[in-house]
Amino acid sequence: MPGKSKKIAAERQLFEADARPHLDTLYSMALRLTRSPVDAEDLAQDTLVRAYRFYDRFEAGTNFKAWLLRIQMNTFVNRYRRATRERQVFEGPMAVPVGEGVMSRASMRGLTDPVDDAQRRLIAREISRAFEELSDDARAIVLLADVEELSYKEIADVVGCPIGTVMSRLHRARKQLQGSLRKHAVQLGIIEEGDDDIEDPIALEAFRSRKAQKL
Amino acid sequence: MSCKLVRRHLGAFVDGELDPATQIEFERHLEACPGCQEHLSFESSLRQQTRDSIGGIHAPEHLWGRAIHRLDAIDEARMEHTPLIEVRPMRWRQTWPIAAAAAAVLIIGGVVGLPEGAEYQSAGMLQDVVNLHSQALPSDVQAETPQEVGRYFQGKTPFPVQPAKFEEPGMKFAGARYIRVGTHPAAALYYIRDGRRVTLLVFQSPGLMRNAHRTHVGGRELYYHNVGANVVTIRQHAGVNYAFFGDLDRGTLFQLTANARVAY
Repeated sequence: MPGKSKKIAAERQLFEADARPHLDTLYSMALRLTRSPVDAEDLAQDTLVRAYRFYDRFEAGTNFKAWLLRIQMNTFVNRYRRATRERQVFEGPMAVPVGEGVMSRASMRGLTDPVDDAQRRLIAREISRAFEELSDDARAIVLLADVEELSYKEIADVVGCPIGTVMSRLHRARKQLQGSLRKHAVQLGIIEEGDDDIEDPIALEAFRSRKAQKL
Repeated sequence: MSCKLVRRHLGAFVDGELDPATQIEFERHLEACPGCQEHLSFESSLRQQTRDSIGGIHAPEHLWGRAIHRLDAIDEARMEHTPLIEVRPMRWRQTWPIAAAAAAVLIIGGVVGLPEGAEYQSAGMLQDVVNLHSQALPSDVQAETPQEVGRYFQGKTPFPVQPAKFEEPGMKFAGARYIRVGTHPAAALYYIRDGRRVTLLVFQSPGLMRNAHRTHVGGRELYYHNVGANVVTIRQHAGVNYAFFGDLDRGTLFQLTANARVAY
């Protein structure tokens, strides 16, 4: 059946053109999720196989990268996580409340304007280390937002939770990252220990309703 | 708009995720407030540093080649037997000749209709077995990797699961997934035989055996239930039920069930 083989070859070509640019993203995400290069290769590979099988279900015009990442996340959850833990982490209550942890100006400058390359490398290493200390889900969300630059909506689709959860998780993870970075930067002498103020969280909704009352 | 509020939502501001009205208010505040500007540049700069520190990982060179190799296998299978790979729900129109054949046997056997009353639960489960086969939900474990079945079900079902082995070489494993039969956690194992789908549901329910018919095929004991015009065959091993249903004639299903090695 030459018609059939032509159709299969055409679809295959399209799929490869769509998927190839995202191989690094898939692998990098898989590596962050599994923390093992061997498992990461398997996971990325299985993701591509599944994506190819269900390629006809991809909705043209939507974000193909986000679609691939969603398949990868599902594959990861199904394979590497036990059923009882599934999704629970994404939807469960936050374990520990995190303060705003706003840094002093001096700390902020110290972290973002390193004096030399050595310090720059030190900070980069500290960020990687602080990132590894985050929970699986927080790592995934930070990676999707800060590295892959997906929108909150797309992240919500990928990890399978409401947008509000993405926002609070992301905020929390970033603050954790900053807090941990600051702590280690102080230990390493990159920044000086100051009396950084810790503020209470404040809700955007509260501001909106206050504003509405004034009007 | 307070500094506190702006700083709390700077992340969403940098991500461009605020609604347009709030976005404008944030911009106005930031123009006039050097303190918040400093926070903004910190937030943006840290974002850049995070990207540099944790991004930029490249896949190993051989990975794409490995993936391509597996896509080739899918293409080959699609070329040979398109219906074998795509497990899709079967339409009732397609199933009627089989159902009619089963009905003919049924009338000869003189058993009509579903069990009632106290048997409702087990009848419901049996109906579920038939429905789950017809729905053909997508597999989580793919046909190429039957060795992953055990690991996949670990922690999902309260009993270990392995794909059943069949003496018949024509029975091909086509995938597996976690599912529920009634309220019982179950393993759905999909097979293909000559282009026809067979579903094996593995779950624990002692009630399922109540009022089951017993028979012998080739010297092996097996159980079955008539579900409407269909038949579900059951094997039991170590307190676990193995319920078979497929787009097959009754004789073939009985033969398959009797010869299956459900636990090994």
